[in-house]
Amino acid sequence: MKAIYAFGLLILLAFLGSRFIVRHKSLSPLRYIFLSGLVYIFLGMYLGKMSLNILSTQVLDDLTPLLSLGLGWIGFLFGFQFERKYLRRFSKKYIGLSFLNFSLVFVLVSVAIFFLVRELYIEQPPYFLYGMVLAFGLLATVNSPTLLNAASFALPRKGDYCYLARFLASISGFWAILGLALLFSYWHFPFFDSRIILKGSVTLASSTLVPILLGYLFHLLTKKRAQEQDIRVYLLGFVFFISGAAFYFNMPPLYVAMVMGITYSNLTKIQERLYPLLLSLEKPLYIVFLILIGAIWEFKFDTRIALLILVFLSSRILGYVLPMKSFRFLLRFPFPLPHLFGFTLLSFGGVGIAFAVSLKLAYAVELTDVFLSVSLISIIVSDFISPWLLRISLLRLDCKESL
Amino acid sequence: MIPLVAIFVLMLLLKTSILFPFADPEKGTSIALGFILIFAFLFGKQINRLKLPQITGFILAGILCGPYILKFLNATQVKDLQLLDGLALSLIALTAGGEMQIGRLKGQIKSITSLVIFQTVTIISGFLLFGLLGRQFFPFFANLTVLQAAAAALLMGTLATATSPSSTIAIITETKSKGKFTDLVLSVAVVKDFVVILLFALFLSLSKPVFFTEQGFDIGLLTQILREVGGSVVLGLIVGGGIILYLKYINREMTIFVLSVAFFTYQISHNYGYHPLLICLVAGFIVENFSPHGDRFIQAIEKTSLPVYVVFFAISGASLNFDALQSSWLLALICVFWRGLLKFIGTFAGASAVKEERTVRTLSWAGFISQAGVALGLAIMVEETFPHWRGVFLSLVLAIIAINQIIGPVLLQKLLLKVREVGRKDLGSY
Repeated sequence: MKAIYAFGLLILLAFLGSRFIVRHKSLSPLRYIFLSGLVYIFLGMYLGKMSLNILSTQVLDDLTPLLSLGLGWIGFLFGFQFERKYLRRFSKKYIGLSFLNFSLVFVLVSVAIFFLVRELYIEQPPYFLYGMVLAFGLLATVNSPTLLNAASFALPRKGDYCYLARFLASISGFWAILGLALLFSYWHFPFFDSRIILKGSVTLASSTLVPILLGYLFHLLTKKRAQEQDIRVYLLGFVFFISGAAFYFNMPPLYVAMVMGITYSNLTKIQERLYPLLLSLEKPLYIVFLILIGAIWEFKFDTRIALLILVFLSSRILGYVLPMKSFRFLLRFPFPLPHLFGFTLLSFGGVGIAFAVSLKLAYAVELTDVFLSVSLISIIVSDFISPWLLRISLLRLDCKESL
Repeated sequence: MIPLVAIFVLMLLLKTSILFPFADPEKGTSIALGFILIFAFLFGKQINRLKLPQITGFILAGILCGPYILKFLNATQVKDLQLLDGLALSLIALTAGGEMQIGRLKGQIKSITSLVIFQTVTIISGFLLFGLLGRQFFPFFANLTVLQAAAAALLMGTLATATSPSSTIAIITETKSKGKFTDLVLSVAVVKDFVVILLFALFLSLSKPVFFTEQGFDIGLLTQILREVGGSVVLGLIVGGGIILYLKYINREMTIFVLSVAFFTYQISHNYGYHPLLICLVAGFIVENFSPHGDRFIQAIEKTSLPVYVVFFAISGASLNFDALQSSWLLALICVFWRGLLKFIGTFAGASAVKEERTVRTLSWAGFISQAGVALGLAIMVEETFPHWRGVFLSLVLAIIAINQIIGPVLLQKLLLKVREVGRKDLGSY
């Protein structure tokens, strides 16, 4: 009974805390921890087997569909923003910068992590290690626009830099999710016996075709004047279906849901009706998702993990900060890209968390536990310091007027 | 129709043996849930075109895709998805409580009481008679002594009295019905559930010494039931008060609030032996009648609940036991027919006793046919109490519930159409 009182108290505290801190007109790290929902991961840890055990292993097994729904939801929402009309508004140089940024951070972090894990986890089979290295590299490239949106009132000037940062943060996850899809398809544990290329290609092709088909079906069902309640049922049904299919066939859940989102958003004409619905469902699903992640997280912290976090975070920061000036030269960018601009891209957001957990849910081996711990701690640290870094970067940049 | 066929074919392809080496059967619950949500909803829409209620479509879709026919959902997945039952039942009960407005019920208290009493007495007496006179024709009753057959018939009669408030609410919500008949059918279904639970406790206690001569009358069970009912009412008052305060002072994030109330009420009551249906019913009733926020609360539930209802009814279809139906379909059919007849007699007598109008006397019995959760739960308790019946009683009751759950919603929808109360919710008060 005490546990239930504690749970009620925690929900109340989280709720009051978020209200109090959101009302405070400043961009503090603490405020952002509430705003980004990371606090619910701690709540989940407290409710899970590490503490109260309300969300016991059995309960978590039973609630797996909710976790898969959460992943599918994040993927779908992410893909939904890739509407042709929206993307056309941006210069190709922006997309080029996004890809260059992705490539460099990915390579830098992967190389740094590779040398480290080769020494630290010498007892692990090499293909496990290579997979983890690539996963770390991909995770490092994920950013979130949540911080920029939250900070919009606190930033003194909103010019080209904000516009660019928001664009980069919004689409950076695309490359990472695509990379994760390749990783899931060819780094497929059950396939390591034979014909990896063939089986991996079949998985990748299915991961692309099935969500396209489902996105089209979703569009067929909603193109005639459907009621809001009906759309809600279809939306939940299709996201459950696609994320469930991903788990059932070991396909990348974020990727398949993203492809369905892209397909649907480019077919449908009811975006305006769908956005409020997506927003009304987003918060509850996201909170539940984060609580469940906190509960499944088997928190580990030792010297090896501390080293991994240190190398991961520092190589990531370097990857975002160092090459900006050379990117300007390479792309002939219309305005300067100083080092500090990279600081605006350090927050991970929901896609980063979903990315980290999708690997753990797909492959239950020791290294995926390590990966989850390193990822989540890095995400929390990074999101905690990123409001401060954003402040110093955008304050010191010479912003032009909005485009 | 095309999307329905397409999603069906896609699922068929995904479940074929060609793709099986790629699949992890232990992770099939989410895909099953997504599939059944879309398929049952589309199936319900098609069924609706035939002027049948959508929930019949949801149930039929569940039966079709369940472990006995197409096997898209296996028994484990059905069991996993039954986790949603608690959420759905709580939402249904909150809606039911919110639909019961004191102002509208005041004029019907006599009718409700009379219908509940006459139906209960008629059906239990009818089944007692059935058990005693017809026992030589049926293997289950044939092996029992007269006293034992009477006890078994009493229990069966009590279960037969129950009507499913969840199906009733679902049909009322789906058809947007409002009016005197709607209120009467819903109120009687809800009140009768309390009566059934209390009578069941009494008869189960009385039956034990008949079957186990070493056991006496178990007064403990009765006091326990009374404690559970009393505790549930008190908890319902507290939950209702909490909801009013939330609506008054916070009033945001209604989706997560409604789902949390439903989920935690069910979990807490389940863990501590209270009745979630009763708690939510009382809570809904309090919010509707003792605060100005009732309509807003019901709207929030209705916005949230459709996907939960679709899965709930589809899974209840998928969990119907066809083995049971196969082994006792003849006796089950006779029992269903007999129950329907007794419902008609009881309703007619109850309505006549309070001089209700002709339509209530002759038609309203059709609103009390559906059966689901409560009857099923009580039947499982009987089976646990008398394990030496080796599932025969449970199979029979399951078969009866299966048939009633298919025909009940159809009859209720036809009744509401006949008395022209369908679609009146959008027109305001009647």
